[in-house]
Amino acid sequence: MTEAVDLSFLSEAERDLILQVLQRDEVLRKAEERRIRRLKNELLEIRRKGAKRGSQRYSERTCARCQQSLGRISPKANTCRGCNHLVCRDCRAYTANSSWRCKVCTKEAELKKSTGDWFYDQRINRFANRLGSDIIRMSLRRKPQGNKRETVGEVLLQKGQLSDPKAGPKSPQQQHKEASLTCDSLEPRDAKSDTESTENMSLDGSHPLSAPAAASPGREKTKTLSPSGSNASSLTIPVRSREALPSDSDSETRLGSRGAASADESDTLFKKNPRRSQRSSEYTKSVIDLRPEVPSSESGSLGDRSKSVPGLNVEMEEEEEEDIDNLVEIHRQRTARSSMRSGVSSSTLGSMVSIYSEAGDFGNVCVTGEIAFSLSYEQKVQMLFIHVKECRNLAYADEVKKRSNPYVKTYLLPDKSRQGKRKTTIKRNTINPLYNEMLKYEINRPLLMTRTLQFSVWHHDRFGRNMFLGEVDVPMASWNFENQLEECLSLHGKDCADLAAFPQHRGELVVSLKYIPPAKHPSAGNGRKGKREEGGELQVWIKEAKNLTAAKSGGTSDSFVKGYLLPLRNKATKRKTPVVKKSLNPHYNYTLVYHNITLEELPHTCLELTVWDREPLSSNDFLGGVRLGVGNGMSNGQMVDWMDSTGEEISLWQKMRKYPGSWAEGTLPLRSTMAKAKP
Amino acid sequence: MTDGDYDYLIKLLALGDSGVGKTTFLYRYTDNKFNPKFITTVGIDFREKRVAYNSRGTNGSPGKAFKVHLQLWDTAGQERFRSLTTAFFRDAMGFLLMFDLTSQQSFLNVRNWMSQLQANAYCENPDIVLIGNKADLSDQREVNERQARDLADKYGIPYFETSAATGQNVDKAVETLLDLIMKRMEQCVDKTQVSDTANGGSSGKLDSAKTEQKRCAC
Repeated sequence: MTEAVDLSFLSEAERDLILQVLQRDEVLRKAEERRIRRLKNELLEIRRKGAKRGSQRYSERTCARCQQSLGRISPKANTCRGCNHLVCRDCRAYTANSSWRCKVCTKEAELKKSTGDWFYDQRINRFANRLGSDIIRMSLRRKPQGNKRETVGEVLLQKGQLSDPKAGPKSPQQQHKEASLTCDSLEPRDAKSDTESTENMSLDGSHPLSAPAAASPGREKTKTLSPSGSNASSLTIPVRSREALPSDSDSETRLGSRGAASADESDTLFKKNPRRSQRSSEYTKSVIDLRPEVPSSESGSLGDRSKSVPGLNVEMEEEEEEDIDNLVEIHRQRTARSSMRSGVSSSTLGSMVSIYSEAGDFGNVCVTGEIAFSLSYEQKVQMLFIHVKECRNLAYADEVKKRSNPYVKTYLLPDKSRQGKRKTTIKRNTINPLYNEMLKYEINRPLLMTRTLQFSVWHHDRFGRNMFLGEVDVPMASWNFENQLEECLSLHGKDCADLAAFPQHRGELVVSLKYIPPAKHPSAGNGRKGKREEGGELQVWIKEAKNLTAAKSGGTSDSFVKGYLLPLRNKATKRKTPVVKKSLNPHYNYTLVYHNITLEELPHTCLELTVWDREPLSSNDFLGGVRLGVGNGMSNGQMVDWMDSTGEEISLWQKMRKYPGSWAEGTLPLRSTMAKAKP
Repeated sequence: MTDGDYDYLIKLLALGDSGVGKTTFLYRYTDNKFNPKFITTVGIDFREKRVAYNSRGTNGSPGKAFKVHLQLWDTAGQERFRSLTTAFFRDAMGFLLMFDLTSQQSFLNVRNWMSQLQANAYCENPDIVLIGNKADLSDQREVNERQARDLADKYGIPYFETSAATGQNVDKAVETLLDLIMKRMEQCVDKTQVSDTANGGSSGKLDSAKTEQKRCAC
């Protein structure tokens, strides 16, 4: 796309000037990217609230948006001309010439305008036709959004930096052919821009298709490849010519573990939509790609082509991707004349969804406040109506900025499935949100009496990290439904409820740890060449979990393990395993790697591993966790509450420290809460 | 700087021969100032301006007001930067194609710029306004209005005679371009959402402009 631009004719001074312009452009672009995320989030919100979805049965005679019964109406006059759904009057938006569309279609149109997608969609068509193969090759390597919205300024900025003599040695990918050079040189941008936000970081990390990442210089490599192991599973991987590629062993390992993960998922592959199964082919593909001396062959680019088809190349691991797309598809299916546009727009929509992926850490909010609501049960329609009135004095999710964007979520426990979830809208920037919203459950009375209504309040973060602000459980059996007055209950934290309701013990995690000291580690067996020598390496081989709590209906969980190396609880130390679906005894067999760890640091760091149930489009559910460390409550001379390891947690950590270079394995009981053991 | 509190980010790009006054034109537009000195633009630059845009209903009734953030790319007219500047064409949603009313040559080159645009812009018939700058220098004028207007008509694009020195028509030219872009945006969205509804009015005009462009490019 831009390989035609040769900047060698510029003088040093000219290049600097242009670079400055491009940097200013970058600032503007970043702001724009943030704005677009925000906008797409809004659409998601509207969509989430209403649209008919495939997983739920719905009557033809209900509004596709709010699900209200429509009664006897003429279908012709009440069909949205955007999506062909029947839509009630309240869910319409009228345009100047008194025609109307449903709110989702309207919002979609608005979004297309305000995000500039109307422009980018046209542009990509044009240049795809002109420079077909190159575009395809490039689109292969990036997510559709980055691809479509990429501007020349952006590309040149990266290029300019790369060709800047001060920026350090030339990277290995300079040897590649021209086209791939352009692609590769774009990679740092990906790593730097908004994709660095948590959710996409994790995407990168678990992205099987990071061929350019694997071939790019160490700076990114540590980032994109680090969630992999090297020794761990390389035992099971056939050894290839290691000298050829510096990152070879890492990549192979990653493939190894990914391969295992994909095998685990293979049973679900076929039930899912096509994208799912495509992933498996990507695994194979990345194997080919990473082998040295394979030029981008014909067969490779053939496979790539399918990926450049919009809507197919959304290759995120996250489930919600699917969920949304599914939703969008349903939203569109009834659009009889959609063949032309559906492809284009679904690529657009696909790009927005990663926002939700990393939803759901509890964060460290000190729970305050209360929730006001009233309940009623309509015998006639067998419905529970929950009027969520308001919350008061909620905690700030962001203590510094004094910000909370709270919403309320309900379940009728023990059903924690997606179908059993209801949510209010999100109120922005308030700790006293006024909702006045009605949440409904269709359930017969005897069954309801066995349930516990759980309200939980969450801070919605537009960049995906939703934070827990408190919850309250209301057993339905003892509720007086005659009294429809407003009730006000104070919120409490997760832990006390969990501690009371569940045993401490929540299954086990089988982990193997190895510390490889700096420099002189034996190069035999792993061929780690070209790696930085300054620090040692901590390898965390997550083998399996046993007897996990079931979080989904049907008595299963779709779990993954997340690791942080405290004191840093941020994306720099965040590592995740792939999700293992429908198992309470999942085999992850995945290695998390931390680089540049010295032996002296080990007593001051603590490895926090938490197991989560992936809950698409919502907050993931915490299933249990461990902290591995010395457990003395101290780190670098400071009192810290997270250095709280006990028993097996301490002994495993110590064993690892004592025998560098060899695996220390342990089966650790999962804690039911990561909060302080004793308040 | 900006933190995204606008409704639309619209990217415009000024192009034309070296010295026709692209930089001063944009400077006048964004800062309402005039700099008579000639400083050649190195490759590429941009300026920004926040404007309010009022959409009008089809019947001309006043619509909603939007905040539009304009990013106005300024390109070097010099030949040696050509490969760089044309690469930026594809990122712009609309173009200010400028020539110097006191330079016949710059006017003759409009044709070339036009074909550059058709080849490198995001689509074959992007929104363009033709601008004859330096209208204040009437004694040195080499291009008469008739000539310029005929050319603009041939391409089916609006034409303005402007002066960065006096500010004449500067705002109007940019606003006209913005208006074209906003209209196209509406059409694009409309078209993709309702594929069976024929797009009347100005879309027809665009089509004719397109065919005309094609004709003259041969």
